[in-house]
This record gives sequence, structure tokens and C-alpha cells, in this order.
Amino acid sequence: PTPLPGQDVAPQRVEIHKLRQGENLILGFSIGGGIDQDPSQNPFSEDKTDKGIYVTRVSEGGPAEIAGLQIGDKIMQVNGWDMTMVTHDQARKRLTKRSEEVVRLLVTRQSLQKAVQQSMLS
Amino acid sequence: MFSRNHRSRVTVARGSALEMEFKRGRFRLSLFSDPPEDTELQRKLDHEIRMREGACKLLAACSQREQALEATKSLLVCNSRILSYMGELQRRKEAQVLEKTEAKARTFTQPPAPSQHLFLPPCPLDLRIPLMWKDTEYFKNKGDLHRWAVFLLLQLGEHIQDTEMILVDRTLTDISFQSNVLFTEAGPDFELRLELYGACVEEEGALTGAPKRLATKLSSSLGRSSGRRARASLDSAGGSGSSPILLPTPAVGGPRYHLLAHTTLTLAAVQDGFRTHDLTLASHEENPAWLPLYGSVCCRLAAQPLCMTQPTASGTLRVQQAGEMQNWARVHGVLKGTNLFCYRRPEDANTGEEPLITIAINKETRVRAGELDQAQGRPFTLSISNQYGDDEVTHTLQTESREALQSWMEALWQLFFDMSQWKQCCDEIMKIETPTPRKPPQALAKQGSLYHEMAIEPLDDIAAVTDILTQREGSRLETPPPWLAMFTDQPALPNPCSAASVAPTPAWTQPLPWGRPRTFSLDAIPPVHSPRARSVAPLPPQRSPRTRGFCSKGQPRTWLQSPV
Repeated sequence: PTPLPGQDVAPQRVEIHKLRQGENLILGFSIGGGIDQDPSQNPFSEDKTDKGIYVTRVSEGGPAEIAGLQIGDKIMQVNGWDMTMVTHDQARKRLTKRSEEVVRLLVTRQSLQKAVQQSMLS
Repeated sequence: MFSRNHRSRVTVARGSALEMEFKRGRFRLSLFSDPPEDTELQRKLDHEIRMREGACKLLAACSQREQALEATKSLLVCNSRILSYMGELQRRKEAQVLEKTEAKARTFTQPPAPSQHLFLPPCPLDLRIPLMWKDTEYFKNKGDLHRWAVFLLLQLGEHIQDTEMILVDRTLTDISFQSNVLFTEAGPDFELRLELYGACVEEEGALTGAPKRLATKLSSSLGRSSGRRARASLDSAGGSGSSPILLPTPAVGGPRYHLLAHTTLTLAAVQDGFRTHDLTLASHEENPAWLPLYGSVCCRLAAQPLCMTQPTASGTLRVQQAGEMQNWARVHGVLKGTNLFCYRRPEDANTGEEPLITIAINKETRVRAGELDQAQGRPFTLSISNQYGDDEVTHTLQTESREALQSWMEALWQLFFDMSQWKQCCDEIMKIETPTPRKPPQALAKQGSLYHEMAIEPLDDIAAVTDILTQREGSRLETPPPWLAMFTDQPALPNPCSAASVAPTPAWTQPLPWGRPRTFSLDAIPPVHSPRARSVAPLPPQRSPRTRGFCSKGQPRTWLQSPV
């Protein structure tokens, strides 16, 4: 994966194969955040004005866990769609399209964000 | 009465590619008994030849560099189109000759498999190419402001289209083209080639010093052996793969455009939304027109197959009404897109009346030429079955004659074939706007940017950003943000002062060295390797705070979590 400009560490690419449960295709995680949500209540973000989409829970043994998604990951893109400026419901819809069995996420991890923060203070 | 859209049955016949020699001066191909498409092509060719003459004269008369850049661009686009059209005419001639000779030897075989649909307009909308300036160039903004003239050339088949020319300097984070490009003919196996060309706005002689220094830097930063390899591969980039669309500059004299990057998009790239595609970089730092491209292009490539927007078959049918065995309604059926619309009267199809019945036709639909209800004296029926959850819904339709039944079946088979070829383009109709006249570039909010997560509102005023920060809750401003050090030339305050509320103010009274407008976001993820505070880029707040947020209804109070 190519790094974003100015970064040394690359964001993670996670490919999740949805699991069919009856009529639904599930990914096995939960999201929080969105431009229409209160970002100060986000327990995972370093910056409390960050209105991005974060992974708040990962089901054990589910497709997301198998694919390597972790709690606290910030989702930047889903199948090429931007997720940094979306409402909560738009984010949910982009992940749960019935026509897509595989979703490719671009995520950034906590350790990366911390490293960025610390480099500024030095 | 049954009618069929015969345009949909034509195959795109392509002969082998030919290399054409570029002949100077006027030229004309003589064609015998031209089919209508060929006279159209000839007319286009003549038009381009006239345009080319005009562009040559204009170029000779130019006094300013920017005029010369535009004229050179027009000239080069004309040249490329001329070559392309000549090549296509030659191919068609060859195909005609080949057909005539083969006809004698042809034996009768089975009718060919359903052919592909012609026509789709894939049109990249709102193209954007991110740039990656070194932070020293971008934020310090020192030295001469080098400017480049860039434009994009798009080729699909024999058609070439160009975007407007844009002047780029290091204050821009992206190259953004506003023009929408529309191609009206292509098959599902299309290849849309994008090429980015650039030229220096300043005279090229002025820059000979810099490239050598940059080249040394490049090879030393990559390490000796990998640097050598990288440079060697870049040197041969011009010759590898297919040759660029644009011809070399004629000996008229004037600005030289260089190929900076290219990529090819196919059906897989079509989507009803913005996507990021990789660009193959074709020039390197020694090239005077080299621009620091990030390596991607963001655009929305939409396609409308003809089968989705035009009716492919229509005629009289009798439809068995649900639940009523004896009652067959006479309707006017229209097969369009992924639906069979059954209207009460033929006129209803055009007046916007609701159809009596709409039957979905998609990849999972099953169609049978039915022997159902034959016993009741209803021959020539076909049945269409769809699965809705656990239920299977079958519609039975009676056609007027055996020939009509055959024609309907063929039309449906053609539709299934087209859906399998055009894949995601048949899921729903993608929006395509007709190209608008070119306007000057505007700053618009875009999706899918690699810089996107750092967007600030308002975009172009650091003072406004700091204003926003002062309006935030007081508890957040115990220490001035670390990135302020960049503006004040002082090291960031290491610990909060006792008089917390006073601390930020002095730093902000200094005049900011920054007056240039930005088109988009500040690229502000700081380079991790920079040791000194001075060169660290600011990390702006991720989103505008509540006072200028998106929700005009007031501050959001919830932080919802949803399972997916």
C-alpha cells in the first residue's frame, strides 16, 4: 500500500468477505462516527473533533476479525468510496451494499495516529 | 406489429492496427462508394486539417508564451486526431476489401452468437490529479514560482478529446479539470487511455541548472543501485508499451509538451461514484516539464449502455392477468433497460403514463418459450420468471405470431448477453451530464481525495482557522497548538503556563507569511522524518468545529454505533 503524502507508515488495507446470514450479508463489526455525530464522545480518536468513521466493536470469529480489522481503526475508504466526510447512515449504507460480497477498506490504526501526534511535539 | 432496434445488433469490426506515416502538407484519401459512416469520418478529417492550418498560423503569430502554449496544444491535438482518423479510415477500407474477397469463399454456418451492443458514453467527470510537493517547496513558498501548463488527452478508439489547459504552480494541491468528456461509441471491451501532458510556462533554457541538482538528489536518496535502476527504467519509459497519443512537436518552434503520466481505464473502472486510479508516471526529474505527481487520478467514470436507455424491442402482447386464468389483457410491451413495460396503449409509452404491468428482467430472470396453456388454444407464448425471496413469480405473455415470438426471444437473449458484457453498468442507469462549456476552474468540494481527511472550512485562511480555535472551549487551549511553532519561529511551548488563558494570544498577533489562496485542503500530515519544529507542517483540526459545522440544525448530541 502506498503511503499518504508526508507519511512514513502506510495505512492498512483490509479485505473483508461478507458472511451470508439468511437474507443478510454481514461483516461482523460496528461503526461509530459521522459528520452528523458528536465527535467528543468517540473513545477511540486522538483528536476529539475528528468526525470520521471508527470501528467500535469487532465480532469474535466474524469476517472482519478474520480479515484483520481491529477495534479503534479509522475507516478512510470503502471500495474506493471516501468515508472521511460522510454521515453515520451513509457510512453504514456504503458498507452494507447487497450487491457487494467483498469490501476493501483503507484504515489507519491508533499507533500510526499516535506516532504522527508525537512527531509534532518533538 | 413488432419492431426491433437494429442498431443494437451491429458489431464493432476492428481490423488489424496499421502504422501510418505522417505526411506533411495536404493529403486526401480517395474512397470509393463510401458508406455513410466513412463520409462522416472524412468530413471530420477535413475539419481537423483546416483547424491544424489555423493553429499553425496562430502559433507563428503568437507573442506571449501563454498564447503559444494554447496554440501548440491545439496543434498537437489536431495532429493526433488526423493520424487517428486516417488510421481508422484505412482500417475500414481494409475491412471492406477483405469482406469482398472472403465472400466468395464463405460457407454457410450457424448464425453468429449474439453481438455486443455499440454505444456507451464513458465520460470521466470531474477529473482530479493530486500533486505531491516537497514540504519545503509548498509551505515555505520561497524561490521563483515555476509554472506549468498541463492538459489531459483522452482517447477511446479513434476519438480523441482534450481537456482545457490549466496552469499549475506549487500552491495547488491537485490538478483539477472541470470539463466533462463524453464519448458516444464504445463496446464493453473499451480502453480509455488518459495522458497528461505538461510544458513549462517559462522558457526551458532557464531551468537547465535545476534538473541536474534534482537528478543527483533523486539517485542519492534512493540509494545508489536502486537509484540507478529507477533512472534507467524512467529513461526507457517513453519507449515502452504503446506510443503516446501525441506526436512530437512540429518544427514550428514554440513550447514543448512532454508526456508526464498515463493510464488506461476499462469497464472494471466504471462506477457511479468517484474512484482513485493509479497513474503510470512517464517522466522524471531531469525533464524540464516534470511535475511531482502523487501517482493517482481521481475521477468518476460513468457508462450508459444503449440497452439501458433505449428501447430494444416493442410490440403487441397479451398478458395473463394475475389470478385470472381466462383474462388476457392486450398490452403494448416495451423492452427497455432491465424491465419489460406493458402499457395499455402504444401512446402511453411516450406520454409518461404508468404501465399496466412492469416485469423485471435481470441476470437471474428465467425466460422460456412456453408450451404453457397450449391446451387452451394460446400458442406462441413465453414466460418470464423472477425469484422474490422465497416466491417465484411467473408472467406468461402471448405474442402475435411465431415470428413475433422468435423476435421477442432474440431480443431477450440479446439483453441477457449485453447485461453479461456490461456487468455493473446494467445494475442501474448512471447519471451522465452533457458536457458544459468550459468555465474557469473553481474550488469545489470533491470526494475521494487522498488529501481529503485534512479538509478545513474555510479553506484558504489560516487566520480564520486560528479564529475558529479561539472560539472553542477554553479547556482545549491550555497550550498553543504545536503547529503554531511554524508560524512564530519559536519552539512549541513545552508545558502549560500557569496563566493558561493568556498564552495563545501573543503568538497570533504576528503577521502570517501566507497569503496565497488554496484550491483545496492543506496537505498537512506532517512528515515524520523532519526533526526540527520549523519544518513540521501544521495538523489542522480534522473537521471544522461545531460553530461552522455541517449541521445547521445545531450541535449533534449523539454518537451512534451501528453493526454492519
